[in-house]
This record gives sequence, structure tokens and C-alpha cells, in this order.
Amino acid sequence: MIADDIRIDGFDARSWTNLLSLFSPRLQVTDAGEAGPEPPQPAREASGTLVVVVDAQGRVLAALGSRRGRIDDVESADDLAALRERYGVRRVVVLREGVLEEIVERLALRVRRDDDYVAQWLALARIVREMTDAGLVRVHPRRWAGLPIPTAATVRRAVDVVLPDERAAVFTLWDGPQPWTAVVIRRRRGCIDRLAGPESLLRWTGPLGGDWRRDHRVIEEAVTRSCAPVHVGLYAEAHTFRRLLARPTAGHWALAVATRDLIVHPMPPYVSVALAADAARAATTRARRWGPTAGLFDAAGTLLSAVRARLPEVASITEILGFDPLRALEALQRREP
Amino acid sequence: MASRHVDRGCRDALKPLRCALVTGPLGTVRLEGAVLRLGSRRVPLRSGALHYWRLDPDRWSDALRGLASLGLPIVETYAPWSVHEIERGRFDFGRLDRRRDLGRFLDLAAELGLLAFVRPGPHVNAELTWFGLPERVLHDAACQARSPRQNPVLLPWPPRMFPVPSHASSAFLREAGAWYDAVATVLAPRLYPAGNVVLVQVDNEAAFYFRNGAYDQDYHPEAVALYRQFLLERYGSLEQIGAAHRRRYASLDDVVPPSRFDATGPDALAEHLDWAAFAEHLVATSLDRLCARLDRAGVRGVPRVHNVALGDGGLPIHVPTLARHVDLVGFDYYHTAREYRTVKRRTLYLCGTLGTAYAPELGVGAPPWFTPLTHDDSFFTALVACAFGLRGLNLYMAVDRDRWYGAALDAYGGARRDSASWRSLLAALDALRFERLERPAEVGLVVPPEYRRLSRVTHTLGGVLSAAALEALGGTPVDGCRRQTLGFAQPIQIAWWERLERLAEALTRLGIPYVYVDAGASPAQLRKRRLLLVPSYEFMAPASWDALVEAASAGSTVVWGPHTPHLDDAMRRRPFPVPERGWCAPAETDAQAGALVEELARRFELGPPFGIEPAPCECSLHTDERGPRALFVLNPSPRPVCATLRLPGPTVLHDALGDVRLEGSDRIELSLSARECRLFRVERHPNAAQSRQAPSRRAAA
Repeated sequence: MIADDIRIDGFDARSWTNLLSLFSPRLQVTDAGEAGPEPPQPAREASGTLVVVVDAQGRVLAALGSRRGRIDDVESADDLAALRERYGVRRVVVLREGVLEEIVERLALRVRRDDDYVAQWLALARIVREMTDAGLVRVHPRRWAGLPIPTAATVRRAVDVVLPDERAAVFTLWDGPQPWTAVVIRRRRGCIDRLAGPESLLRWTGPLGGDWRRDHRVIEEAVTRSCAPVHVGLYAEAHTFRRLLARPTAGHWALAVATRDLIVHPMPPYVSVALAADAARAATTRARRWGPTAGLFDAAGTLLSAVRARLPEVASITEILGFDPLRALEALQRREP
Repeated sequence: MASRHVDRGCRDALKPLRCALVTGPLGTVRLEGAVLRLGSRRVPLRSGALHYWRLDPDRWSDALRGLASLGLPIVETYAPWSVHEIERGRFDFGRLDRRRDLGRFLDLAAELGLLAFVRPGPHVNAELTWFGLPERVLHDAACQARSPRQNPVLLPWPPRMFPVPSHASSAFLREAGAWYDAVATVLAPRLYPAGNVVLVQVDNEAAFYFRNGAYDQDYHPEAVALYRQFLLERYGSLEQIGAAHRRRYASLDDVVPPSRFDATGPDALAEHLDWAAFAEHLVATSLDRLCARLDRAGVRGVPRVHNVALGDGGLPIHVPTLARHVDLVGFDYYHTAREYRTVKRRTLYLCGTLGTAYAPELGVGAPPWFTPLTHDDSFFTALVACAFGLRGLNLYMAVDRDRWYGAALDAYGGARRDSASWRSLLAALDALRFERLERPAEVGLVVPPEYRRLSRVTHTLGGVLSAAALEALGGTPVDGCRRQTLGFAQPIQIAWWERLERLAEALTRLGIPYVYVDAGASPAQLRKRRLLLVPSYEFMAPASWDALVEAASAGSTVVWGPHTPHLDDAMRRRPFPVPERGWCAPAETDAQAGALVEELARRFELGPPFGIEPAPCECSLHTDERGPRALFVLNPSPRPVCATLRLPGPTVLHDALGDVRLEGSDRIELSLSARECRLFRVERHPNAAQSRQAPSRRAAA
């Protein structure tokens, strides 16, 4: 799924850190355009991971926090929930001494020469699951315990839906007339083989007009011409997109699309489904609270009709994906497990 | 202001070099600190990275001009084996693909007046798939490093995990030799003085390819054979090896390297410390073999360089040993601004241990799969490193390329928004002739390598999350060490690091300049310091102790503690003569360390000429034979600060990166932004005698 010769280019430090800041709360931005230092963490907010290494008798050999380094006063690793509470961490991982060495030994035996990077990581995930099931790795909270680890073929089928072969996905956020960050992702011969940043994008487009609601068409044409036909494009102003990621309110994504604060073009079926689900959630919530709200229904109505017409097509997509991509984005931003 | 720097920087970069290449006197290239001596000319060791094979050859000229316009006299590039090898034994240097025309690229650089620093590997990383090594070589079992169970050692690096080569494999060395022979056909005719190649790097970040836990690798049969040989040389006989390891060996084949840490007391430690020491020896041996092979290929006569990756505190390398095999060893710097103390410590270690601090890769941007770095992170790191004595640097990357973000120039050599900062810094270093300045430091914090080894073998998180990886991720190399005392009074594997940290903190609080000196550094480096502070516990390597005793005989004062050792690093009793000058002192709490440093400051009159308040602001003074020349003022905290700079007398400070002028008779007040480092040119006040009584003035800025 990831090409051996993947090309990643066209980012300066700002556009790259801006892009990552959307998904990493630690990389905060001070305004739409400037990356800033990490803000101080609220004292009571859980953060980071506590790692405790124990021997076969359960004695603590070492303990360290990802945010605070070595910790000397961890006496026991029996009660993980208590450790989590005491050290104010998001999760606790207890490792039996030598388990990491066991994992890499097994990995070396299982990875085949022709496995790609995703297949290699899936193999690693399966080994970690084995160690967890054997009690050599303990994690609290164990959010992913019930989830099966997909095969490489399943992941490939999901990627086929999100970004088919020989197609590109475009994501551009603006700060005033200039792109604040952008990324073009291309899939070719079954693999993601190109990630291009704003500088590459602007070389393909030439000078932009400065009105993002018009410029997005120029971008789509340029990407189609220079890279690959666009399968999905997402365009917005940076502050709008950050607000959307930060607000968990149902319906706000659908509303943003309906009011063209967020332009999705082309809009593949899975995005339609996600937006329709978002609108439906909002409608249900509001109906339950105050009865029908005309504004939202008006805005989302057209969208819902369009999606309803494609329901048979999108049902399989939801099944394959198994998640709502917009909810996943929100979760990432809020760092929900 | 900045644009004047650009033009002058560009002219200055090109003009004299062109003269040198065309008409300069012939001669060899010599390194004098961070200055390259080319015949009678001196060139500061400042370069910028550009990857020719990743750019359109029609753009090479623009990119090289852009690089020169930053004020850099040298272009640096890797020459990747996997790019040039088209099939086993067949190499292309431009006949099939113009992008591979290394010779034309170097000639073009020479035409533009640029010298060249070439890094032909064999390992280059360069964010290339397979780290620039041919895939066929990586999958040749004879070339692969081995785990304790004889499995290949996979590096989980994007975009594909791969089995890493063995530093001991002669099959790998043969393959690398064939590559050296091939690339030498391009490089050898272009070595200075016939051409513009003035520096060559051997291998890259050699330390087991980031799989560097003590028991991660290398159990390759040839590595095990070398281990036995290493032990034989160290102990002299099989019996002595057995005595040290507390085992009975019938033959050398019975000596098996440990595959996990299982010691519970001092008696069982020797074989683990030997294995850790052997890892360092293996890396050095590998470099030595590659150097010899480069010689044989005809690439010789110019200084050889080697770079050390992040996490040096936990890496299986010994810097002074590496420095005996190449001409210059430096550290790579990719740090966030939060890692200020790490940048400081690493630079001070290079200064104290080697005398010259050099960064073969001073990060300008980073790979996409690395900790995200902003421009402010990179620039602050560069300034902090310079503040504490970095004299030579290679901006990595100067020109943008695939699998990188944040280079100073775009892929066409065009200036990016942040390039002005780099241009301005380089112009300031030029104007100050920074490469010839010194940062006086009378105190050396001594790092005994045997304690680093103990930390490595007691690390509990394996090889992927190794001690070096923890340090590279912003922690320390002792964070993952087991806390058991192993039969000593305290867990030495952690205590030595903490003692040095406490002493460093106390020295910083009083503004006393210091460096870190590896106990294995040349005696001259130890003797340079008036005062040597060393952690010492129940055991210590005799070589480390003897070096301290010798330094004390030559006039240094040694303060050790908390214990006077009585065991060597094979845990055998032996006498440890007390140094001629010095004493044993505790520094096991912050209060003890503070009291000790205050006493030393009084006794040795260690007060700095410039001081700054409040903490944690720092200043760092650089001098030449005429006196103070440059002063760095730093605020490492995440909050803005109004600082007061105490002066030794009437002084004028010129902001070397701007146009601010500050003056004062005994103090200057100045505002510092969060995580800011400012560089000032220091001048004695023109009316020093008259203005001695003048009141201090607030900074105009």
C-alpha cells in the first residue's frame, strides 16, 4: 500500500507542521498561519504513557513516563488503573522483561521479503496481540482488545474505496489568499506513491487568484493534469477546518458543506455517507431536544437526498471501512481512544 | 540589511574559492580545528547539503548558486550506492541517467567556486529506502547482522522494514569495497588539489543501524569471532578471560557473548561490560576497515569525517576511539527547542572530548517521519549549539528534496521564507570569524565510558526502544535502566548520570562555564581543565582512573566521588592511587552539589566575566587572543523574560543578527522572547575609562 519509492516533497517547515498540527494536539498553532510552542498542559489532564518493566516475579525493574522520564517510586505493577490515576497518564503499559526482544525475534521470522510496509506492521500488531494475550504485555485501558487485526488484503480493499488506483486525493486549507497547508496523495499501481505539499501544488497551478472558493477548481484541474485525476478533494479555510475538528457537535460537518464553508469536490460515496450520517445525527439530536430545526434540515436536505439515492452503493463501503471517517478525525483531534 | 549580507556573502563565498581552485598553491587539505587549510588558504568548515540525484540536472546550477548565496563555501552530498548500482557489479555515473552524473555535478560546483564534501557511505540513510544500500546486499544472509537467536535484525523504518547489515561481515565489506572502487573512479580525480573534493565521510551514523540495544545484535559468526579476539587482546589468555567472567572456558570457542542481562551482583558484570565495550570496538573496527578500503580505492589525502546520530549518550560508540580512526567526528543535531539541555550537553561533550565541535548534520528541517520540527526549533538549536562551542556545521538540508521538509532553499535553489535567518547567521559567523574563537572553560565534567556501558547493559526496553532511542526522543539514556543496585551502594547505572546532571546544574546556576570530557579522551583534553569533576563508584576502569591521576600530576585538580573505587571494570580488586591534587566529595543531592560547586568557585575563583539574571537565562562568552569577541544570551524557558546582563566593565554589544546596539557600564537590561538565543559582537566601550560611572541603559530594542 505504500510504494518503496514513495515521493514526499513540496513542504516547508510551516506547511508540514501546520498539517501535522491538525492531528496532533501537542503541535499547537497560535493562529491560522503560525506554529507556536506547546502550551502548558492543564495540571489535571491525563497525558502520556507510563511504561513499567517487571521481571518474572512481578518486581518492578524500571518505570518511565513518556512525558516525565524515569520514575522511581513505582513499587508494584499489579493495579494498572491505580497507576494510571496516580501518575495522571492516559495509559499504562506493563512489559515483562525481555518481551520486546521476543517481539523482534518473532517479527524477523514472520516478515517476508515481499511484504510491504503495511503488511509488515500488521505482522507486528499480531505478534503484540499474542504477547498481550499471553499476559506478557498488559495495557490499561485496553481499548482495542476486541478488535480483530485486519489482513493486508482487507486493508487494501478499504484503501481501494478511499482512494482507488491511479487517482489522487487533495486536501488544501487556506490562510487568507495563500494555502496554509496542502497535501496531494496519489495512488499508483496499488500503492500510495506520492505526497506533494503546497510548493509542488503551486508549481502545478501557477499563481492562484486568492479566492479559495474559486481556486479549488484550478487546483483540481492542475492536479488532474500533473499528477492524477482527483477522486476526492477537500478545501476550506484553516480556521474553519480547525473549528470543525475541535467541535464535537453533531451536524456541523454537514452544515459546513451545505454552506460551502467546506468544499468537498469531487465527493465520493463514503464522504456522502459520512456527511449524511452527521446530518442525521444532528437532526435526531435536535428533534429530541427542541423539535425539528428548519435551518439545519434545509441545509442538509439536498445533501441527504443525494446520499439517499446512493445508499445501496454506500452500504458496502461502510461495511468495509467499519468507521465514520469524520468521527475518526474528530477523535484524533480530541485524542479520543 | 539582510540583502546586503546576501550579496556580500555570495560574492565572498565564490570569489576567493574560485581563485584557490584555479591559481591556489597545490598542497594537501588539513584540518585545523574547524578550519580547512588548503595550501595557504583557510576555509571555515561550513557547508550545505544538496542531493544531486534527487534534482533535475538542469537545475543543479541554480541550486548550487542558491547554496552559495547563503554564504556557504562547501556543498555536501551523499553518493548513494543503491542509486548508482544498476545491477551487481555495474554502476552508472551518468551514462544512462543524467541524474547519476556525480562527476558533472562536482565539476559544476567547482566551476561555481564551491568546494565539495562527499559522503559515499556505504550506509547513507538519506531517507532512501534501504538506507542507500542495494536490496540484494541486505538480503544476502552472509551480510546480515544477527540476533541472539541468529535471526536477521529488522529495522522498522519507513517505507519498508529491512534486515540491517553486520559491521563484522567480511562479505558486506567486500561488497562495499566494490562500491568504493566504482565511486573512486569519479572521486579520486577530483580530490583536492586536482579537484574540489576536500572532505570525505566514511559510512554514516555507524552504530548498528538504530538497532543498538546491548543484546539486540550482533551475533554474526564473524562478530562473535572478533569478540573472542577482543577478549584475548584485553585479558591476554583464556584463563584470564575465564577469571574475569567467573567462568571456566576449555577453549576460546566456549566463550559465548551474553544474550540478555542476567547479572545480580558485581561478579557477573564483567562479561556484560565486555560485550558492551566490544560493541564500541566493533563499530570502530568497521570504520577502520572502511577507511583502509577507501585508501585502497584511491580516495585518500583529504580529511575523513564521521557523524554520530542522535542519542549519543546511549549509543554503542566511544567518541574518542572513533576519533582515532577518522580525522573529525561530529554529532548530528535534530532537536526541538525544548531539548535545549540536550543540545548544550552534546556540544559541550564534543568541545571537551575532541576540542572541536562539529555538526555533520545540523538539521534544517527533518524527514517527514521524524519528530516535527519548526523553523524556530531548528534555528534555536543551531544558535544554542554555536553558543556552547559548535565551530563547524553542515546545514542539512540546504536545498529541498524528496522525503524532507523545511530545507532553507526550495528544490530550485530559490529562497524560502526562513532562508534569510540562515543567511544572516552564516554572515554573522563569518564576520566574527567564529571558527577561530574559543569558549573558555576551566571545569571539566568527566564521563567514564564504563558507566555508560553499565547503563546500556541494564537498559530494560530492548533494542528498538534502546537507551539511545529514549535520548533521541527527548529523554535520557538512563531512563530505562533497571533500578537494582547490583550489589553496590547505589544503582551506578543511573547514579553517575544524575551526579553529572546535578553538578552541571549547579555550575550553570553560578554561570561557570564547563565542558564534558570523556575519560578516554586524549590526555591533553583532560589537562586543559583546571578542575575535573568525576563520578566514581566502587568500580572504575583503570584507564579512566589513571587518566585522572595523570591529569592531576600535570596540574589539574580532581574531585571524585561519592566512592573511591577499589574494583576494576572486570570487578577485580586493585589499588587506585589517590590523585596528587584533589579529594573525594559527595554530590548526591542538589544541596550537596550546590555546596560543592560554591566551594570550588570560591577556592578556584571561577566567577564568569559576564553574568545574567534571572535563571534559567544563560550567557556564553567566546574569545580570541584580544579578549571577548562574541556573547550569546539565551532564554531557554517557554516564557519571555526581562534579563539583566552583568558586565565586567563598560561594554558595547552589537546584535550580530540584527542592528541593535546595547551599551552599559556595569549592566544591560534586555528583553528575551521565549526560547530565544541572541548573538552579540562584544566591544569594549570606546570611552571605557570615562564611562565607567555611567548609568546602565535599557536596551533600545
